[in-house]
Amino acid sequence: MSLRVTDLIASADPATRDTAIDTWCAGRTVAQLLADCTELDSYRRRETNLYQRVRALFFLTAIHRYHLPARPDLPRLGRVPYDGFRHLLERRFEEAISVFAAAQATHGPSETLSSALASAHHALAFQTLADQVRRTVRSTRGNAWMFRLGHPLDQPLRVRPELLAPATASSPSAHPLLRERTPVRMDLTHCGWSDIFFLGMDFPEGARVLNISIDLGVHGRDAAPRPPVEAFFRVIDEPVIRLASVDLEATACLTTLDEVFDFGRDYLGLLKAALIAAGLVPPGIERSGASLAELLGTIFGPGRGFELVSNVNRIPKGSRLAVSTNLLGALIGVCMRATGQIRSLTGEMEESERRIVAARAILGEWLGGSGGGWQDSGGLWPGIKLIEGAAAQPGDPEHGISRGRLLPRHTLLGRDRIPDAARQKLSESLVVVHGGMAQNVGPILEMATEKYLLRSEPELGARRRAVATLDEILALLSAGDIRGLGRALTENFFGPLQTMIPWVSNRYTEQLIARTRDAFGEDFWGFWMLGGMSGGGMGFIFAPHRRAEAQTRLLEIMLATKRELQASLPFAMDPVVYDFAINEHGSVAALLSGADALLPVEFYQLTVPALLRRDARDLTPRERTDVAQFTKTARTTPAFSAALPTLLDRLLPSSGDTSRNTSSLDTLLAENGFDRAQHEQIRTDLRAGRIGLAMNRLAPSTRIEDVPAADLFNIHTAPAALRAAGEAALRRGECAVVTYAAGVGSRWTQGAGVVKALHPFAKFSGQHRSFAEVHLAKSRRTAALYGADVPHIFTTSNLTHTPIEAYFRAHHAAALDRTVFLSPGRSIGLRMVPAVRDLVFAWEETAQQKLDEQKEKMRDSVRAALTNWARTVGEGADYTDNLPGQCLHPVGHWFEIPNLLKNGTLARLLAARPQLRTLLVHNIDTLGATLDPALVGWFQSSNATLGWEVIPRRIEDHGGGLARVDGRVRLVEGLALPRESDEFNLTYYNTNSCWIDIDRLLALFGLTRAELADADRTAAAVRTMAARVPTYVTLKDVKKRWGHGQEDVYPVAQFEKLWGDMTGLAECANVFAAVPRQRGQQLKDQAQLDGWARDGSAAGIEALCRW
Amino acid sequence: MPIRKALVTAANPRQRTLPLQTLIDQRGETKSALQIVLEEAAGAGVEEFCVIVCPGDETAYAEACGALRSRVRFIAQPAPRGYGHAILCGREFVGDQPFLHLVGDHLHVAQGAVSCARQLIDVAVAENASVSAVQPTRESQLTSYGAVGGRLIGGDRPLYQIDTVLEKPTPTIAEQQLIVPGQRAGFYLCFFGLHVLGADIFSILDENLAAAPDKSLGLSPALHTLAARRRYLALTIAGRRYDIGAPYGLLLAQLALSLSGRDRDRVLTQLVELLAVRAD
Repeated sequence: MSLRVTDLIASADPATRDTAIDTWCAGRTVAQLLADCTELDSYRRRETNLYQRVRALFFLTAIHRYHLPARPDLPRLGRVPYDGFRHLLERRFEEAISVFAAAQATHGPSETLSSALASAHHALAFQTLADQVRRTVRSTRGNAWMFRLGHPLDQPLRVRPELLAPATASSPSAHPLLRERTPVRMDLTHCGWSDIFFLGMDFPEGARVLNISIDLGVHGRDAAPRPPVEAFFRVIDEPVIRLASVDLEATACLTTLDEVFDFGRDYLGLLKAALIAAGLVPPGIERSGASLAELLGTIFGPGRGFELVSNVNRIPKGSRLAVSTNLLGALIGVCMRATGQIRSLTGEMEESERRIVAARAILGEWLGGSGGGWQDSGGLWPGIKLIEGAAAQPGDPEHGISRGRLLPRHTLLGRDRIPDAARQKLSESLVVVHGGMAQNVGPILEMATEKYLLRSEPELGARRRAVATLDEILALLSAGDIRGLGRALTENFFGPLQTMIPWVSNRYTEQLIARTRDAFGEDFWGFWMLGGMSGGGMGFIFAPHRRAEAQTRLLEIMLATKRELQASLPFAMDPVVYDFAINEHGSVAALLSGADALLPVEFYQLTVPALLRRDARDLTPRERTDVAQFTKTARTTPAFSAALPTLLDRLLPSSGDTSRNTSSLDTLLAENGFDRAQHEQIRTDLRAGRIGLAMNRLAPSTRIEDVPAADLFNIHTAPAALRAAGEAALRRGECAVVTYAAGVGSRWTQGAGVVKALHPFAKFSGQHRSFAEVHLAKSRRTAALYGADVPHIFTTSNLTHTPIEAYFRAHHAAALDRTVFLSPGRSIGLRMVPAVRDLVFAWEETAQQKLDEQKEKMRDSVRAALTNWARTVGEGADYTDNLPGQCLHPVGHWFEIPNLLKNGTLARLLAARPQLRTLLVHNIDTLGATLDPALVGWFQSSNATLGWEVIPRRIEDHGGGLARVDGRVRLVEGLALPRESDEFNLTYYNTNSCWIDIDRLLALFGLTRAELADADRTAAAVRTMAARVPTYVTLKDVKKRWGHGQEDVYPVAQFEKLWGDMTGLAECANVFAAVPRQRGQQLKDQAQLDGWARDGSAAGIEALCRW
Repeated sequence: MPIRKALVTAANPRQRTLPLQTLIDQRGETKSALQIVLEEAAGAGVEEFCVIVCPGDETAYAEACGALRSRVRFIAQPAPRGYGHAILCGREFVGDQPFLHLVGDHLHVAQGAVSCARQLIDVAVAENASVSAVQPTRESQLTSYGAVGGRLIGGDRPLYQIDTVLEKPTPTIAEQQLIVPGQRAGFYLCFFGLHVLGADIFSILDENLAAAPDKSLGLSPALHTLAARRRYLALTIAGRRYDIGAPYGLLLAQLALSLSGRDRDRVLTQLVELLAVRAD
């Protein structure tokens, strides 16, 4: 009997089940693939097994995303129905799929519709998985009651009487402190992200992690390692909840239930999630309208509440040591102990108690809108443990739904499995560091899940090797063979992990490894990636006799490498080296009273200044006790007395930092030709509502029509004569390339601000290469093919010029100013605090991706805070509260070409190469843009001023496109379209790649080649032309870094003019060409990388390059 | 084997006056709570009673026994060392026969004609096992009662074989450990204040006392041990218990008695009038 596609999911034969969808699809026609899709769709609708449904959804995704578009006979052109797109944004995925499928049935299949179907199936698959995890978390025994509780009188928890006792005889109203101390966890190997809940629940036998609880200290700063995570709990004589995070320097006093469930209003979301997940304010009581004081009265007695304080000993964010999950665990643990949900008030937890705290931590992460792996709460357990997926048994909430349980099984590896000597050896060889990079690991986890469910080779083979590696690593550790362990971990990193997800590595990590190897030779035993990806928390293993030296040397190597790469990779902080020790106790609590009832010294630094500002008579007994306690301890304890100067500093507001920041910003503005008068005009217009997001749009009466394929040049049908003419032009050296390199990769790094041109985003020919390197390699190849140099110009901005210049001087010194040129930007803007009306427009009037329930609540709450920020700071005020570079903005790529005219780059180029007549201008992330001879021939023969490349639209292509606007064919920006739905009627998307006839452009500006030497005339010509193209107001997310690797993202207003609007000028002759996606697609987001590699785009780009 | 002896615990120093409170029973007669408890047992065939009291309470309690006074013996618990210890004080009185145990601060109102104690004793005799009366109780009240986990064995009767007993668990612990298939979500089988226990409970209490002589001796841990050693059952009683020590407990107990007795209409009328007056 012949196989069907659903047999790959449902077959009893494991070999059939593990067949990759790629293998199945090989050689199948479009018709066969569409038939497979129909079969898979009806299968997933009738199937009850969760994972089989999800696998069918991923199969559908893969067919629509990779296999159908790869068939040459699949029509390229189509339209995404707008209502389907809205369904997608609103997370109504089933409805979206129905609308897209109906469009496919009516209009026939197309690459455009396949992209929409792929996107909808992909999102539905992840939503199905996430919903299941949430359902399981809610129904886990021990958690469910909290969702049923809806009234304060129903609250069954009562505080333990020990916590109501007076802390000291002299202050009967102060109560003892309950302190929970918890280590963090390191994972020796995670078997290819098998700790992702979805994987553990489907493939429990492959979900295996070797996990160690460790104490931590920063090398050179802390005297000795200690459990880095601390949570404190005490009863207070006020009917409120007081929260304090000493690391984030944030405190809050919650008086209503709504404040408890408002996660985004301050930095204390984790503490709120903890007290909710611990059942003190159970999730079921949200929006009940009940009184918080009444609820607290039920637990603590009338008029009482509690205080919760967290401390992570200044361990930076992104350590990959699961600091936040273990802090959540500690906070939940201390709250559960306080209310008798954990039997022992002090000491270690029992196994069943650790498990329920871990389950509550998962719940807390869901409530707070974050997520971790199931091994992350490993710090609650002592020592070294094997954490494995467990098969669901009858009676489990997961039984019949998934193969595995939500919560894994923890097996403590005692000294019989890993002797003291082996533990000692590990401690003597391992150096744990934080490399300083902070990256979003979310996309990596999604990729790992999808690849697992697709069973693609070689990823499936790599996963199997990773599972086997764990046994090897365990055996090596047991035997105390640390050298072998280092080798196995390194092989795991360079082998299975990178095979599964190439993006776990980066140039920084690989340079660190190479330089460490150079410095230590045979004494460097191996590299160990901690957590989801490298660059943050990492381990380096050395011969014991060189470990001390390595701690110092490695910090130097990391700092030097960071300095080299900080313009091209996102770093959140300077690297640090940790001291660590294996923690053999797990999470431990102590009850502190009398003189011992001390909170961390930073807590007093944070809170005492505010108390000292008040009249002593107004202080509550607890506040008096706190001040007295601190004063008394400061007399005897050096750590407390050393805190006094800082405390006194905080009593007086300081303005030193702000003034320094402002002066350096002013210098930058002055150096970069900032136009203050124009800025003030824009501010006035913005405040008056004359400009703004809503005003960017064309009039609603504008007629927007699609442009048929017949009106475009099609590269596929280009006559041979055009190609030959183009080749001849290339041989004559008539063409040059201009790459926009002024940007700082806002989307790529979520606003972290790196020079995108220099960002080493992927490996080519065995090395991480940057966008600039790829573009140069293409020009190098073109030059070699046609025997003529290809001048390559990178347009820079104040943000990117210095690092790009330094890079070219270091790596391409010979080519600089010979074939490689830099065109420095001469226009700059100062960002502004946005108008509330624009924020509201962006959030409410434009289509937004709806998030899942908890994340949506989080986002609403953050937006309320940001609106308040804009009102408080002042709408239209200069945005200066950040690093100077983050306060400035480029003013749009319209200025890039005029800058070539103004700064003399074009004049110099033409002087050296008078034969030059055509420029190809493209975005830094349009990797496929090359001097294709067919396009050169087409453009040169068209007699147009500008030639534009467009591609058939896919659902992810937003931002306007090619349209007939009131009869004129032109490019129109998405933000200028009168209605959002207009964009979905446009077949072609603008790649922003533009061919320029130099002489015709000069003529358009009213200039000649000779007149380019006249700076004043050129500047006047540019000013005149600039006035004729529209100015858009946009909002950009800007990251502000603070504390220890913490980040905030602010939306700020800025202004830009766009080159595509040249097509709207009546006297500018334009032509348009439809090019293949591979040539025109842009890499905007790191999450695109994996699909880009899988669909053959990466290999296609590699073929265009010469290294 | 018939159950002839009943042991009533009333030695909690914080609640020593509760059994002395006066109520009006279903027949409209004014009685002490203690007398109502004793009559519940007497109505089920119990002939001899022992009440464990705080030292010095014997006289006051004796006066509260009503007509059963002559059949009641008082034993003082020398020091408040726990519920289990109070039971242990009655060992000599009970001897080696099964006995009915009632708590002095609970009143019971049956749904039908058969009293709560009678229902329990009938099952204990028929099953020849220790049986505790239970009532499905909302999780919000879990921290006031002992609670059991187990499985239904009674066929058409609400009879369970107990495997776990926990004293005043948090719902977190109850959800994990007190699993009773078929039980409505959010409800647990909590003690009713009525048990028929074999004399072997005393030896378990003895063991527990010896293991931790300085700690308060609970009954629930001993019952948990009993469940591990013997067939130990729970019966959902057709009736309700009223904890007169809880806030408004005495009021609610009185209302329950009145509404199931002779004065039902009279009390209802006054309640309606009260509601009408306080409707705002």
